Amino acid sequence: MALVLTGALLTESCRKSDGGAPATTPMSFTIPQGFPATKHDFTANPVTKEGFELGRKLFYDGKLSKDGNFPCASCHQQFAAFATFDHDLSHGFNNQFTTRNAPGLFNLAWQSNFHWDGGINNLEVQPLAPITAPNEMAEDINAVVEKLKQDEKYRTMFRSAFGTEEINSQRMLKALTQFMLMMTSGNSKYDKVKRGEETFNIAEQTGYEIFKAKCASCHVEPLFTDHSYRNNGLAVNSFLKDPGRMRITNKKEDSLKFKVPTLRNIYETYPYMHDGRFWNLSQVLEHYSTGINQSNTLDPLLQNKIPLTATDKFNLIYFLGTLSDTSFTKDKRFVQPL
Amino acid sequence: MASMRTKPHYLLCFLLLAAAILPSCQKELSNEEAQTPDATHDFNIQFNPVVDGDALVFGDTYTNASGEQYTIRAFKFYISNLYLINTDSNKTYAVNKDEYFLVNFEDNSSATLKLKAVPFTYNRISFLIGVDSIRNVSGAQTGALDPGKGMFWTWNTGYIMAKLEGSSPASSQPNNVFEYHIGGFSGPDNALKQVTLSFPLGEDMKLETGKTTAMTITADANAWFTNPNNIQLSVNAVVTTPGPLARQVSENYANMFTVTDIVNQ
Repeated sequence: MALVLTGALLTESCRKSDGGAPATTPMSFTIPQGFPATKHDFTANPVTKEGFELGRKLFYDGKLSKDGNFPCASCHQQFAAFATFDHDLSHGFNNQFTTRNAPGLFNLAWQSNFHWDGGINNLEVQPLAPITAPNEMAEDINAVVEKLKQDEKYRTMFRSAFGTEEINSQRMLKALTQFMLMMTSGNSKYDKVKRGEETFNIAEQTGYEIFKAKCASCHVEPLFTDHSYRNNGLAVNSFLKDPGRMRITNKKEDSLKFKVPTLRNIYETYPYMHDGRFWNLSQVLEHYSTGINQSNTLDPLLQNKIPLTATDKFNLIYFLGTLSDTSFTKDKRFVQPL
Repeated sequence: MASMRTKPHYLLCFLLLAAAILPSCQKELSNEEAQTPDATHDFNIQFNPVVDGDALVFGDTYTNASGEQYTIRAFKFYISNLYLINTDSNKTYAVNKDEYFLVNFEDNSSATLKLKAVPFTYNRISFLIGVDSIRNVSGAQTGALDPGKGMFWTWNTGYIMAKLEGSSPASSQPNNVFEYHIGGFSGPDNALKQVTLSFPLGEDMKLETGKTTAMTITADANAWFTNPNNIQLSVNAVVTTPGPLARQVSENYANMFTVTDIVNQ
């Protein structure tokens, strides 16, 4: 009798939630086989179905921009693995350009810092940068919140996700974060080969061997980056004059250092480098084999460049194609909501 | 036979009693917050902006230690991590723990902090000018820490601890503006300043149950320009990133506060 009562009490208290709002539905985050532990603290902002759907609606909503034309999705396009397709720099408000190439968005749970210079220390506050940048979405965060408050659908979705109809910047950012965190790319041909489900063809296999010998020090498997900041020998763009990580740390030794990007979905996220200066992978490999620019902070691993024959490059490019993950770029969970 | 039974019984009682008393004795001897008495006393702090002690009026002209004239259009800062201290009895009690206040002299209501303190006798108050480093890495915040308050850097995550803006003929910036947005929460050049102030005439402040205490603290804008670092508008009219210059300004404004008045009602 006591056990039955206790059981009944427990289930009843589990169903209840604050303020009488219905409880949220947890969404589980799956770590792909072979991936390391995530860096993100999921306990601070647990992913729920309701928070995820709210984040998805926000991600695709032009309301977050000044003139309505620039939702997050305008620069982060799913078919380009959430980079900007076919653009070195992206378009912002009033015919302006961004100053850096938009990175693809995936596997963010494994990063501690964001942006090419690592200036963002928590994914939750990243959206504030493009939202308020005058050359990007050009909006005031308070104005965004006001627009959302006028929308009955948002009031309902905020209530579902957070318990009350209160809309503030923190809740908006947490919802966006829940959406972005779920974007995991770990099902490319490379991953299937690693799981023993498929095999590389000759070119891919040869390319993989070259990759492991010549690229993997910085582009460490399975995330294909070690998340460090390095100067990879790119000559300074005299117009953009981008100092890289030094802008954040104020340290001379960080001059011209940028984050090592992932190589996953590399076919989809061209053009390449922090300013998108290389339009195809041949140009990238040309840079590494013959193009490296000397400077004080050039990465030690590139002092002697990376010697690659034409055949090496051919095979490498084939291997890099195995990092494309169509199950991610076509994942219906991340498409624009109706 | 009876005595043999009661002896161990008494010993057990004694041991249990000792076990109960000893740990609680240890707790009382320390300053641990786990044993903090309830904060039941209404303790209000009124911040007033001044220049060299005289009430600051936005738009009026003042002169800094370098002889440069200036007017103020914005003066605001975060206050957090407040403590009331008695250095004689070595007691420190947190006031409104984990709360953050944005004092903005453009909005008088924000310059009055309505707090709750532990009734006790104190001779110091201590607080952080700014937002501690943990909060700076903890993601999206709300309330006084909402990024919509204009005190948050979006491109280099971190809070602006204190802001002073205005104009001066000495500034070579467009429209002669000067802007000090002082931040940086980590590394050797961090701008976090925990200040400790004594009370007028070096006297104690006794907070008694049932009474309300109103403390007035002035914030002197001129302190930003001098002591220990000489900051001149003609040389540095803009400081809006973390770094050595921001640290120097924070070292100056760490001296801007004075407790001028305490009223116990």
